[in-house]
Amino acid sequence: MTIEEIRELIQTVCSTGVAELEVQRGENRVWIKRTAGVVTQEIHVPQHAPAASVAAAPAPMHIPPAPAAVTIAAPQAAPAPGDADLTDPTLEAVKSPIVGTFYEAPAPGADAFVHVGDPIKPGKVLCIIESMKLMNEIEAEISGTIVKRLVDNGQPVEYGETLYLVKPN
Amino acid sequence: MRKVEWHEEIDSTMRRAGEMASKGCESGTIVGAEVQTAGQGRHGRTWESQQGGLYFTMILRPKVEMRDLPVVTLALGLGVADALQMHAGVSVDLRWPNDVLVGEKKLAGILTVWQEGAILAGIGVNVGQAVFPEELREVATSLALETQKEHDKQFLLRAIAASVESQVRILESSGVNAVLRLFANASSYVSGKRVTVELPAGVVIGTTAGLTPEGFLVVRREDGTEMTVTAGGVRPANNH
Repeated sequence: MTIEEIRELIQTVCSTGVAELEVQRGENRVWIKRTAGVVTQEIHVPQHAPAASVAAAPAPMHIPPAPAAVTIAAPQAAPAPGDADLTDPTLEAVKSPIVGTFYEAPAPGADAFVHVGDPIKPGKVLCIIESMKLMNEIEAEISGTIVKRLVDNGQPVEYGETLYLVKPN
Repeated sequence: MRKVEWHEEIDSTMRRAGEMASKGCESGTIVGAEVQTAGQGRHGRTWESQQGGLYFTMILRPKVEMRDLPVVTLALGLGVADALQMHAGVSVDLRWPNDVLVGEKKLAGILTVWQEGAILAGIGVNVGQAVFPEELREVATSLALETQKEHDKQFLLRAIAASVESQVRILESSGVNAVLRLFANASSYVSGKRVTVELPAGVVIGTTAGLTPEGFLVVRREDGTEMTVTAGGVRPANNH
């Protein structure tokens, strides 16, 4: 299994909301697990507890390992999206002002409001957080570049949860 | 005096309201139309806006904390429901968060957008439609069909606007709890209702079990576990 293939698997895990994935190909076996900020159903605990504490993740896709399988330990290769960057003091976090569901585009199938690498300026709509049929357009407050998106489309978000990291100009 | 901008035909009252809000129009300002050619529904869906309906967007600037803003959507539903009961003589139900129903058919729908520092409350009421297109016949109704009477749309517009503003004032002055109590009294969907909930991750079936302190809907699944719905389409389970 090549590094490229592992990278693809990690992206698959990140983009689908699957909590844990184990794949064996020949003698190689990779196990990828998301460790933080993961919730795949629309579940919230009031009082704004971290969403992960009520994670009702779907059953992991589990492929039983062959007896002689070689394990490539992968958890370190699949950090929760953005963990490392959250501590980067040069980046600004765009946070959710309400509890709701994150949408990256105005309609299903439409192009996302912003992509990683896009330049933004104040007033630019970055995403929508829907809460009780209130569509909350989240706008950029600073100029800069989107360096990371931390939430998947359709995922629930908590009050104050970081949605994007921006490198200010 | 309330400012009302009325059009014979417009693409979307929501789009026009966004322009007006960005220019700083007053809270309570309304833009409406006889016909919308591109009426907006949830997530890019279109809202059927045929002749006979009342379609308008009201721009509101409620004095509430950002985190309490979603509760404005419940207040909007209560306002529309109250006005229609009082002035059009229909008995209505509210489906969380704010669909106004007669029985299980939709009489009025509300789409709310927070934009340009204001709430744009898009309200569509089926008033004079005598017949609906085939695909809506089972799920939509109108005041004309329910009451066998004609209703003055401009009168209803003003009644709804005043009623919505009074519900928003309740939220501002008495807080979230007051609105939640009113909603629980007005809606058969708050507890004990078998529903399906469409979420981005799939469909959940269960029985409603009250509202959280924030106003979200609690649904108890058949295995006894509870989930909180913050956003999503709620429908009676027997329709599926």
